[in-house]
Amino acid sequence: MLSERWLPRGFLLLLAALLALAAWQWRNGPPVAADMLALLPAGNGDELVQQAEQRMQEPLNRDLLLLIGHPQRDQAIALVQQVGKQWRGSGRFAQVQWSVDNDLAALRDYLRSNRLSLLPTADRQLLLEQPQQLIEQRAAQLFDTFAGFSLLPIEQDWLGLGLRAQQALNPGSRIQADLSSGALLLEEPGMTWALLRASAQGSAFDMQEPPLIAAQVAATRTQIETAGGQLLAAGGVLYAAAGQAKATREISLIGGGATLGTLLLLLLAFRRVRVLVSLLPIGMALLAGCTACVLVFGQINALTLVLGASLVGVAADYPQHYLSKSWSNAEGSEGWSSWGALRATLPGLSLSLGTNLIGYLALAFTPFPALTQVALFSAAGLIAAYLCSVCLLPAWLRGLQLSPSPQLLSLSQRLLAGRVRLLAKIGSAPLLALLLLFCAGGLWQLHTQNDLRQWLGQEPQLLAEAQRIAELTGQQPTSQFFLVRAANPQQLLERQAALSQRLDQAVQNGQLRDYRALSQLVAPDSQLQELRAALGALPQHWQPLLDLGIPPAALHNELLELQQNNQASLEQALASPLGEAWRPLWLGANTEGVAGLVSLQGLSNSAELKPLIEDMPGVQLVDRISELNALFSATQLSAAELKFISSVAILLLLCLPFGLGGALRVVCLPLLAALAALACLGWLGQPLTLFSLFGLLLITAIGVDYAILMRENIGGPAVSLLGTLLSALTSWLSFGLLLISDTPAIANFGLAISLGLLFCFLLAPWAGTRPATDKQAQTL
Amino acid sequence: MKRLLAGLGFWLLSQNALAFDLDQLSAQLAEPAVVRGPLIQEKHLRALPQPLTSRGQFVLSRDLGLLWRLQSPLKQDYRIDSQGIAKRTPSGWQQQPGQDVAAQQSRLFLAVLKGDHSGLARDFELQLSGTADAWQLRLVPNSVLLKQIFSRIQIDGGALVQRIELHETQGDHSVLRLPESQAGDALSEQERRDFAQ
Repeated sequence: MLSERWLPRGFLLLLAALLALAAWQWRNGPPVAADMLALLPAGNGDELVQQAEQRMQEPLNRDLLLLIGHPQRDQAIALVQQVGKQWRGSGRFAQVQWSVDNDLAALRDYLRSNRLSLLPTADRQLLLEQPQQLIEQRAAQLFDTFAGFSLLPIEQDWLGLGLRAQQALNPGSRIQADLSSGALLLEEPGMTWALLRASAQGSAFDMQEPPLIAAQVAATRTQIETAGGQLLAAGGVLYAAAGQAKATREISLIGGGATLGTLLLLLLAFRRVRVLVSLLPIGMALLAGCTACVLVFGQINALTLVLGASLVGVAADYPQHYLSKSWSNAEGSEGWSSWGALRATLPGLSLSLGTNLIGYLALAFTPFPALTQVALFSAAGLIAAYLCSVCLLPAWLRGLQLSPSPQLLSLSQRLLAGRVRLLAKIGSAPLLALLLLFCAGGLWQLHTQNDLRQWLGQEPQLLAEAQRIAELTGQQPTSQFFLVRAANPQQLLERQAALSQRLDQAVQNGQLRDYRALSQLVAPDSQLQELRAALGALPQHWQPLLDLGIPPAALHNELLELQQNNQASLEQALASPLGEAWRPLWLGANTEGVAGLVSLQGLSNSAELKPLIEDMPGVQLVDRISELNALFSATQLSAAELKFISSVAILLLLCLPFGLGGALRVVCLPLLAALAALACLGWLGQPLTLFSLFGLLLITAIGVDYAILMRENIGGPAVSLLGTLLSALTSWLSFGLLLISDTPAIANFGLAISLGLLFCFLLAPWAGTRPATDKQAQTL
Repeated sequence: MKRLLAGLGFWLLSQNALAFDLDQLSAQLAEPAVVRGPLIQEKHLRALPQPLTSRGQFVLSRDLGLLWRLQSPLKQDYRIDSQGIAKRTPSGWQQQPGQDVAAQQSRLFLAVLKGDHSGLARDFELQLSGTADAWQLRLVPNSVLLKQIFSRIQIDGGALVQRIELHETQGDHSVLRLPESQAGDALSEQERRDFAQ
């Protein structure tokens, strides 16, 4: 036939085009992204919220923090210098910082002209409410040997406001610069830690950098431990590297394991080496899936690859449809022919593709970019696998004399006979009742659990080190922060100052360790006016200073300077050497005004923050984690709706060949299987998560295959059951292997699907029609 | 020529042998177990005709650290030891935030009083002149950060430290005088208690 010649050629042409496209996509290395969090739904905030989130996330992704510890202070300093030079020399980092060599002169200048603006809350209150005490404290300070090191010389800072502002610049920080080496040190009994901060070049989440950086950290660790020291490291790059290594390991295990298993299964069943060409659809599926994802999303995520690797099992099913028919022909006189078997099974095969596509595409409508990618990957992969199975494989299998294992067929026949005997004794209805009872019992025990942590595989070592670093440095950045909007910078500062007042309260109550606001760097005008007014009254109180012999003119001059000096604007302040720590908090101007952030440290409970800001205009708490957790729960409902819609779609599709009654039967079986799988989760004590729900969503689509195979009944029920068994085995191989994944989300997904498919297989024979059973009796 | 060189070498050697060196200074200052005496601290500010002067008492223990008691015009006791710096409050000694620059300064201070030159040599270039009875130690900071704070520190003494001069980069300087220090054998009961808490 003509099509037998043209189909393979056409397909090969398509394949060549696909290969060329893929090669072009991979021209600059693998377009694979490792950022798991990128697959989470985008926040429902506006553009500004997303910009703010990105701003807060950026340093977490890019920055690397090392603490190099040694019992001897000198050694710790020597080690950090050595490592710092090596790292700087490696060219792998945009920035490596292990010491301060601050330009004190610039700092002094800025402090001198802006000390009023920088004054912390407590000192501001002292000046406003107890100026007498402020003066007395200053007088005592001047005689104190150990009053502390002051950046401003005393004659520029008679009133001591500069010293107060200076001491507030590094509040609560346990990190201190070593005066001689400039190294940043943390002292602990028996251990001195030296700090090193590095920023990765470019993004931490491209595939090349993280492993190299992780290797460098490992080498540094060895070097430091050899010298008798200890290393702690934390940074998003390290998580990325670990995640990447894990994904690679899992992809090769799952993909490799499933392929190898399928290969053995094929050899065992059909006992011909050439049948292995039917593994080709697997390769096609992966190639097409990958290429489609890169085409649409620009890159493909490692998580998509892991989940996509399970497609192997589904893609391997298509050739089974016609290969399994060789058993029915083995008994007949005419041998099995590839094109003939294909023609006989093409409708069922196409129905399978249709239902699979419906199932996978349903995933695309969830709000999770991860599943959208998986849906696209799978849809493209399935179509390619189908085309390969239909157009190319029959040509390559042509003339092949399959030698299907007769034992398998007799096993299948024995199974069916057993089922018939069982049904004769008990009947379908009591069995159904029993199953429903089992389901009810399981559902009763089912509990749901949704948590962001399921996305992240555990890296206990990295986590422990990060926690230790947070403990030591006292820096414990939280993912929650405040976004403050205002019409202009002045209003922004006013609003942040008002927020700061409430946060001060939260700090006192122990709900919060610390925070950073732009209003700490630049006081709003209203505050400055208040302070200047209070300064005007100071001469009534400064007798103790005059008693020391300080000339009145000097005090008056300083007062005048404080009252008249223009304080730096927000933008000037941010550009100053002092402004560095505050720069990330400024989002700049937009069409509606300006915006800035207030970042938090050591937050005990984010729920306590909400009431704080209830009546504050322009202030918004951005809490991505609770938002996501809430979204996870809300999505469960939409997943159930999707499942319903996809079932209806499959039902409509199946009405065409089977009629409404048959279609209902074929669709109800996988739905029942999904229910049973759900019950199993309950009996097993496993939680129902969003991911197991998505898994069940797929079951309808994949499981309906088995029902179709049984319903079509080409070659008799025993042959159909055998085909179903082969299909199910290959699927179990791939989805079951997802169970080994370290990422709870993926393992949970794998468990739900494996259970569902088991029930699909067990229930599939009920899809057959009565006359089919009669036919079977005749052939036997 | 050869003879000249040999002569020069011999002269250098003998100078070395005769000179009072840092190790000897350390040994000399570490000899007494306890040193006590009055202290006078003068802050000379460019803008003031008269220095800001405070007075008090100090007790330096070779093994335990330093008690620094300002008595006038400010009344304030400090204790400096290996733990850092502590301030006496009505409720007892209160350890000051250990990471403060003041803590590093106090560590430096203790090293100066004890003549611990290995500790000082890390941060300063040391120049010692004079004899065991009248010596002068000049400290010039060698790190960028310290140079922006001190231009030099000068210590004078004999058997004990007598005078410390701190010259700040910005022009002010402080003089600490310990004019009548006495070496002793042991701490008093009260002093021992102060170190113990």
